Order: sequence, then C-alpha cells, then structure tokens
Amino acid sequence: MRAFAYERPTRLADALALLAEPDSRPLAGGTDLIIRIRDGSVRPTTVVDLKRIGEFERGIRIEDGWLTIGARTVMTDLLRDDRIRSDYVALAEAAAVVGSVQIRNRATLAGNVCNASPAADTVPALLVYGARVLAVGPGGRRTIPIDDVFVRSGVTTLAPGELVAAVELPLPAGRRGAVHMRRTRRRGHDLASVTLACVIGTDGVTRLSYGSLGPRPLLAVDQTGVLADPRASDAAKAERLAELFAEASPSATSMRASPDYRLAMLRVLGMRAIATAAQRLAP
Amino acid sequence: MSDVVGVGVARVGGLDRVTGRQAYVADIPLDDVLHVKLVTLPVARARIGPIDSRAACDVPGVRLVMTSSDLPQPMPRFGPQRRDRPVIATGETKYHGDPVAAVAAETRDAAEEGARLVAVDYEELPALHTLSGALAADAPLVQDPALRAKDPHGSTNVLHEHRHSWGDMNAAARVADVVVEGRYRFPMVTQFAIEPHAFMAAPDGDGIAIWSAIQHPNWLQRVIAELLGLPLAKVRIHAPDPGGAFGGKQHAKYEPLLAFMARATGRPVRLVLSLEETFQAVRRGAAEVHIRAGFARDGRLLFRDLEANYLIGAYADIADRTVAKGSYTSMGPYRCPSARIVARSVLSHTVPSTAFRGFGNPQQIWAVESNMNEAARTLGIDPLELRLRNLAGPGETFIPGDTPADGDWAVTVRRAAELIGWSTPAPAGRGRGIAVGLKSGPTTGLSYATVRLLVDGSVVVYAGTSDMGQGARTIFAQIAADELGAPLDWVTVVSGDTSVVPYDQQTSASRSSVFMGSAVLGACRDIHVRLRSMAARLEGVDESEVMIGGGEVRIADRALSIRDVLARGLGRLGGEIIGVGEMRKDAEPDHPLGGTAAFYEFNCTAVEVDVDRETGDISIPRYVTVSDVGRALNPLQVRGQDEGAAVMGLGHTLMEQYIWDDHGRIRNLGAIDYRIPTSMDLPHSMVSDVVEHADGPGPHGAKGMSEGALLPVAPAVAAAVTDATGAVIRELPLTPERVWRALQR
Amino acid sequence: MTSHIELSVNGRVRAIDIQPHHTLLDVLRDDLGLTGTKECCLVGECGACTVIVDGTSVDSCLVLGVEADGAAVTTVEGLAVGDRLDPLQQAFLDTGAAQCGFCIPGQLLAARALLDDVPHPTRAEIEEGLAGNLCRCAGYEQIMEAVALAADRGRDSDADRRPGTRGQLAIDVASTPDAEVAPQ
Repeated sequence: MRAFAYERPTRLADALALLAEPDSRPLAGGTDLIIRIRDGSVRPTTVVDLKRIGEFERGIRIEDGWLTIGARTVMTDLLRDDRIRSDYVALAEAAAVVGSVQIRNRATLAGNVCNASPAADTVPALLVYGARVLAVGPGGRRTIPIDDVFVRSGVTTLAPGELVAAVELPLPAGRRGAVHMRRTRRRGHDLASVTLACVIGTDGVTRLSYGSLGPRPLLAVDQTGVLADPRASDAAKAERLAELFAEASPSATSMRASPDYRLAMLRVLGMRAIATAAQRLAP
Repeated sequence: MSDVVGVGVARVGGLDRVTGRQAYVADIPLDDVLHVKLVTLPVARARIGPIDSRAACDVPGVRLVMTSSDLPQPMPRFGPQRRDRPVIATGETKYHGDPVAAVAAETRDAAEEGARLVAVDYEELPALHTLSGALAADAPLVQDPALRAKDPHGSTNVLHEHRHSWGDMNAAARVADVVVEGRYRFPMVTQFAIEPHAFMAAPDGDGIAIWSAIQHPNWLQRVIAELLGLPLAKVRIHAPDPGGAFGGKQHAKYEPLLAFMARATGRPVRLVLSLEETFQAVRRGAAEVHIRAGFARDGRLLFRDLEANYLIGAYADIADRTVAKGSYTSMGPYRCPSARIVARSVLSHTVPSTAFRGFGNPQQIWAVESNMNEAARTLGIDPLELRLRNLAGPGETFIPGDTPADGDWAVTVRRAAELIGWSTPAPAGRGRGIAVGLKSGPTTGLSYATVRLLVDGSVVVYAGTSDMGQGARTIFAQIAADELGAPLDWVTVVSGDTSVVPYDQQTSASRSSVFMGSAVLGACRDIHVRLRSMAARLEGVDESEVMIGGGEVRIADRALSIRDVLARGLGRLGGEIIGVGEMRKDAEPDHPLGGTAAFYEFNCTAVEVDVDRETGDISIPRYVTVSDVGRALNPLQVRGQDEGAAVMGLGHTLMEQYIWDDHGRIRNLGAIDYRIPTSMDLPHSMVSDVVEHADGPGPHGAKGMSEGALLPVAPAVAAAVTDATGAVIRELPLTPERVWRALQR
Repeated sequence: MTSHIELSVNGRVRAIDIQPHHTLLDVLRDDLGLTGTKECCLVGECGACTVIVDGTSVDSCLVLGVEADGAAVTTVEGLAVGDRLDPLQQAFLDTGAAQCGFCIPGQLLAARALLDDVPHPTRAEIEEGLAGNLCRCAGYEQIMEAVALAADRGRDSDADRRPGTRGQLAIDVASTPDAEVAPQ
C-alpha cells in the first residue's frame, strides 16, 4: 500500500480543517477505503480518522422525533438494536447482509451512505424509511433528505470536505410491514446484483427502493394502494411494479449479472417483497 | 486391524495448526532478506519494448531491478513437459500477469514502490482467450513455431493431439438403437489455495537454497540444478507444508527467477504473491467436449465418440498431461465396446493451466456423465439402473491394455443410491441426480523412505511427501507406529527438505498413501528383518522362529516388546536400527500414458436439489458422496478429503469461473468477484461414506483417495436440476442466471 | 514518518513505532513477529487475517495499525493459556477440522468471537458466524462440528470460562506494570 500520513483529530473542527486539504480522505470503518488505497484507485496524502471525534457518536438515540444513528455506528450495532430490529426491519435485514461478521463489525452506516455504491444494501432501506442525513462541513450543519444525497456511483451531493455526522430515521407513525431482499451469486456474503427494500403502511402506501440497477439506488412510491391491496390480482400488482420500476437501467457491462436478468429479478423480488411486507403488516 | 491404523487419530501437525505455530513459507524469517515485487503489464499480450528502471532504482532501498536482459542469453526456459517457460517474459508477454521485471528491495514498501516506477514501453498485440479464437485459421501463434520445428502441429495453436480408439465404431453406430449427442463446456477455474504461493531463495555456501510451498520438492531441485548448472547436492529445497495446493503447487513457477535474483544480489530474496497474482499463476484448463454415444434399447452402451478441446495457457506446464490422462479414461468405468477419443491441448494467451484436483478428468466427466443422464431419459431407463447395467465388474478390463477394474464399483453406486433414498420418490418439487467419477491413479512412481527406530523405541520417519492438508504425515506415522509397536506420539515424521529426506518423485495423483505409505511400510519391514536377527541372537533361537507382528516380537508363544529387544540388543553403546523402503512403479513405454493405473479412484455422488424457478437459485437439501478407498487408514482425514473435494466441486459446479475482457485480461481478479463456496453455500445435509474392500495396492489394502469426490459433482447436480425442472444445461457453472435463462426457454 | 502506538496483544502490552499505512496485519506479522495471523485476499473476503480487537472480530487487513492504538488484540497465539488449549482449539483437533491449516487461525478467532457472543449457537448461527472465513480444503462441516462441540463442552463448564476476549475497552497502558517496548 502507498504511504500516507495519518491524523486522528478529536474535534470536528480539526477534522474539517484537515479534510479541506486536497487529497485527504476521511476514514471511518475502512472496509472500503483501505481496499481502494491498496488497489491504487484512491491515493490520499493524508487519511483522517474520524473515530475519535467527540461529536461523532457510536450509538443510536431518539431526538426530536427522529432516530439518530451516529456516524461511528457500525452494522453490528444496528443488528443489536431493539428499535432497529422491531421498527426498521428492512434496515436490520439489509445491515445483516453487508459483508461478513468481521466487515459488519467495522463498516459504518454513514460510510455505506458516503460511498454511494449503487449496490449499497442499506441505502434502499434508508430510502423507503424516508431517512435524512445530518451533514457537517465548513459551511456548517444541514440536513439532506436521503433521496437527495446520491448522484451516481461514488458521487454524492455532499460538498467537498462535508461529512455525515448522523443518519436519521423518522419515528414510525403507525404499524408497517417491511422487508429487504437481494440477489447474489452465492449465499455467503456477496455484492448484490439486485438489492431492494419495501415498506407498506396501514395507509396502503407502498414504498419500494432498489439498488444495483443503475447509477444510484431509486425510490418508487405506490400511492394507488394496488400493491398493498390483498384483493388486487398478481397481474395488476406486476403491472404496477413495472410502472414503478421503469427507471431501472442496469449496467450492460457488469460481470455480476446481465441487464435482463437484473430486470427480471427486480420484478421477482418486487412481487416477493410486497407479499412479505403485506404479510408482516397483517395483524 | 490395529489400534492405530484405520482409526481417526488426530492429525500430525494438528497442534501447530491450531496454535498458529505452523510455519508456512511466508512465516519463515530470513536474516537480511530482500523483498521482491513483480512488474506486470495491464494487457495480456504485448511486444515488450525498452524497460526504463532508473526511477525504480532511485527508490531508497531498491537493490535490483531484474529484466530479461539481466539473465543469461538465450533466456533459460523450464517446464515439466516442455522447456517453454522463460524465467521472465522475454520479447513478448503471453498472458495477463506474465511478469516483465522483478524488483528486489529492503522492504516490501520499497519493492512495491519500485515496481510501480519501472517504466515499460510496450505495444499491445491481439490476444487469444477462447477456443474458437485459438483454433481459427488466422489465429496468431501463441508459441514461436521455431521452438516447435519438428512438431506436426507446430504451425497451429494445438500443442498436442491425443487419439485413442478401440472396437469398431462404424459397426456399433449401425446397430445402436439410440444415439445421444451433446456439447458440454467447462470453465476456467483457479485453485485459490488460501495460502498464496510464496518463494524464497538464498545463496547457500557454494550452492543455493530454495524455499517453496511445492508439492514436488525433488522435481524442483532438478529444475533449479539444471538452470543454474549445479549438482543436485548443491541445491537444497525447503518445502514447508503448503497452505493448500490442489495441484497448483506441483511445478516450478517463480523459484527460478528468485534463484537468479539471489545470485545477482548475493542475498536471500522473498516473493509472496498476492491472491490476484496466484490467479495469474495457476488455473485449471477449460474444455469443450462433444460426445456422441450409442446405446441398445436395453441400455447397453455400444459406442462413444468423443472430441475434447482443452484451452490451456501460454506455456505447457503440466497441462498437456492433464489432457492425456483426462481423455484416456474418458469412457469412464463402463464397458464401452467401441470408442474413439480425440483430445487436444490448445494454447492461448491466458494463465498457464496446470494440475488441479482431478487432473483433466472433471471436464470430461462433466460431459460423459451428463450425456449418460441424458441417455437415461431418452431410453426411459433409470439413471442408476443404466449405470449398473454398464459398469465394469471387479477384475474386468474396461480400457484395453490397462489395469482392470480394481473394485466392486456397483457396491459404491448402490450405497450412494441407498443413502439418498433413490428408490423412494423425491419430495415434491425437488429433483435428484446421480453420477460417477473415475480417475486413473499414478502411472509411474518412485518413493523412498527411511525409518529410524531409536534405542528407546521411538521412531523417526523420513518421507518426502508434501503434507498440504491431505494428512500424509499422519498416515505415515500411523503405519510406522503400527509396525514398530510405538505409541503414535513417539513417532516423528520429517519431510520438506531435500538435504535431509530421501527422494520422492512427487506428491500428486492421490498417490502418497499408496506409494510413500508402502515405502514407509517397507522401511519398517526392513527394520523387522534386523530385529528378528537381533531377537534370534538374544534368545538363542533360529531366525525362522522369530515373528514380528502387532508391534511385538514373537518367539513361539512368547511375546517380547520391540522396545525390550532393542534395549538389550543395542546394549550400552545405544544406537538405532535404520530401515530403508522403496516403492517403484516403472514406466511402460508402449502404454499411451507411459504406464497403467496403479489404482483407480472411484466415487459416486447423489444429490437432491431444490430449484427456485423464478430466480434460478439452486439449493441442495441433501448430498451424498461415496468413495471406494480400499481401506480408510484414517477415517477422519478421509472424510475431510471427500467432503472437501465435494465442496470444491460445488464451486466449479455453481459459481466459479474466470471472466475475461476483450483484451484478454481477467476481469474478476481477486476474491471479490471470483466466488468460492462459503460456510453458507453448503448442502443442508452432507453424508460422506466409503467402501472398504481392502482391495487397493497400498498398505492394508488402501487405494489413493482425495480427488474422487470432486469428479462427479457437476453432472450429479445438473442431472438433479433437470429432474426438478426439465431444463438441460450443458455449460458450467450453473449460476442462478444460467439456470434462470434455461428455464425461460 | 512513523507513528507511535501502544496496544495490548494477547495480554501483553507492546509499544512500537509503525508506518501509518501499515495494516494491523502487517504490524502483527512484520513488526511483532506474530505470524499465526495469515495474509491472503487483502480485501476482507477470506478472513484468514481475522483477529479480535476489543472484543469484536475484524479482518486485520482492513484495519490500520494506527487504528489499533490503545486496543486489546487477541490473535491465535493468544488463545491457549500456557499449555491449556482453548476449547475451540481442542475441538478443532478432535473433529479433524484443520487440514492444510492456513485458514484455521482466522476460523478459530471468528469462532471465538461467535461463542463469546452466542455461547450455544445454532447451526445457522455458526454458518453465518464463519461465512467470512474461507476454507479451500473446505473442511466446513468438520469446522462447524468443532464449533458446536466446543460450545457443547462449554455448556458443561460455563463457570470455567477462560478470560474472555470481549468487553475490554481501551487499556490504560501507563498503568500496566509489564509494559515493554518491542523491537522495531
């Protein structure tokens, strides 16, 4: 691995100052960054470790009607949190399939967001739950709706030097059924060729989000109630799903799966997800 | 049998393996060592222009940048079948990963930095990475025709063509009631030993010492001696236990380069490959196999006409031998009255393919056994029944001129069928499949062993087999303990150093229990001879009255412990008894393979699968593998080998394959996109069983084993998929997408 | 340019100067000579480099050495207490789980972290807990049997648990009497 300098600020202001330098890179869990430094696709002069910054929490707490997940919170923390497990099932299920145990012990949710991988497993869940991101940077603090964060693979709307301090989820307004599903090349940990989250509320609205089918994960919302309607036919649901998935545009050059297989699997997982979510919603 | 042979005793070396003390090559410290990094090009085939190493040499700590011009001219070449591999690429790179330079430096960091700064001027050339491309009339030639002057295929990319035939094909074709035909494809896959290859070399007095996780230390010794012009006695090969090898560590790779670098610097040098670099160093040959098979309506096999093209790499390595062996037994364990077999080794601009568990056989067995299953459906005969009708019986010659069937294979097949519950219908929605695999064991071999029985009755065994996980040392310790009446933990097995351990031809073809095991047994029996004369002298009886067995000395109805006889016989000066053993199987020049099979590995695999018809996902609720091992000398290790072979087979069956780009580069280089099975990818239930008729040529009737359980995995699983869904798939791996696509038709 | 770190490895405090771009794996193997931890894929896929840091298993190839400053690290060399093997080590021997052995240190550490977390795991939990550790000898069945066996034996002697690897927070180097400086 190429040499770089390492800084471990304890104050956010110091971190932001360090990251204002060109070619400095923030380090959280490192499960993506270290790989990319080693393969040469990222060549930082300075790596700024965010894990000792007081303002960045490792933990999950409720504040002002939001469930706030601190920047240092790792996937394993999500899996162990009772609120995530009971109220944000799709996120818990997504976090459970990020890498292996060893990876989940290091990989942060904030890092999964910042990487902006089209295949990021937790992102569709964050999209269906209407999460927002608390960003801090030289220009101060702001919240960004999660759907406004992603541009394309590896590119977000975060400003240079801006960091994610927390990912926040709205508290559940009522009962809902949710699920995360994915397609991979094997059962053991793998990168998804389709990753999808679905949540159905008691109001009949179905929120679906899918990744790995284009440059960024997409959110599709069914307000018609067809997808949540137990009396609607499979054909009607499939037709509605096809409309909702119209923007899917899988890469033609990926070696993980062909575009037509991904699209077909998106429809299959879509049907399965709404069935499972509806089942989980049922009293 | 005894209390130590045939028992699942704990592995010799096990304690070191669970405590982290087992030292693999990369764990061995060498004072003053230089670290080596290879320089490769981001293309497959290129004309190598000037190499500017000035910037690399300026990196603090860099001591040497070696390129082809720093080596003797003409470039020294080596290879187990043909001396076609240069020590380092010269003139042209032949495949993605073919190194053009190597940097030696005081630290790993400096070596890596130096390697990045070596500036290579190159011109990319068209590269071949498919069979159709390599066989095209206008294909560029992978190997210089000047190197193949007298070769009838020298002006093509066919390195060698193997032809075997017997019977009367035309007559058989006329009377066949049913002809079943198909074309089957087997992908390129890689060994993926968890220990990446590691090599060290160091000046050693007036000779050289090499460290390599090599399966054939003595073969490597010859290669190095020849390249450096040294006598064998001046080349010392240290061969620590490989951390997995699977055939990929049989033959020399970068040891010659390291030897020249050690000479050039006068210092020890160390090269530890990255996993990515191992993908660029070893793989299995891909193959496309076309079969026509004719049957009588009652299921009797009448003929097979088989043509196999193997896509091997840019250098021959041992690849053509895998083609030879894989094709020679390609008719399987069946009576096949007429056969025509054509198999070709086709060169390409890809990683040189080499030995890999199964050695050329899995490719053909995938085709032949799949064809057998298709024939069963066409004939309306149960696939189990079809096999039983055609299996060669014990002692029956099934390949003209070769070793007759050395087992009652129908017993193995029936056992597998019984364990999967073949006679009862599969649960609704599930499918079942069955297949068999046969592989010829070694055709020649030579192993020596030395055993020292020390004065206190403890034993040191010297055996040059590489213990790469198969547990060879455990087997040798068991044999010696049994023969010499020593507790197992009083036996030490020494291996892995050519200066200490006598010659062993090689660790391959599942030979070691039979070959080295017999040599160890022979050495112990040699000790028995001396013990008998010692006991006779001590007891004042004739030697003919002294028997040795069960670890004891017996005279009439009296039993003496070997230890007591030794103590008395050796007396005050102490000393020891040294026994020497040898197992030899000479070449038979007229045989197509140079020798008949020492034994056959035979396995039957039966599986039950569930196929998700919407996604193409295969899950395996039940898996049965049964091997005819003659005698399981250590059932715990036999189980590990059979289950391990099964899971490895599931890898190439379900998920493994190299993916290439248009430039002949490996796209899925590394562990992220080359998938192998994890603990979550196993059958839900796996049963492994053995048939033990003590009918093998090894100690206690053992046959070789370790590869058999890999052979029939793919055709068994594919047959079960067909049984469940009706879809016939003739190309591996059976990825969800491929299965899904087949189900769309 | 080096960074000074102090960490506890297998209960022994080590204070060393390291390169910031060297991973914990590099530090363990090259700086501390603890070669039981293995290097293979370097992308967090194979688990051969698994160690336990402050109670959780990690791929040491994806952790910088400097990140382990102040941490408590357990490697395979630290599993046994003197001659007394960890129950997992004994179980691996008993079931024939170690073949070539190269993945075994990582498997053992992943299994140790699993059992520290879930003392009596189900088969599915074992499969999941070890999925980050590739074995190409594919002794998975025997490895998982070993983990179940160790858990079963632990059921009889839960009171006899060896000092755990979990739940230790950053250690206080200054207060550790036998702190020493390792050679570079």
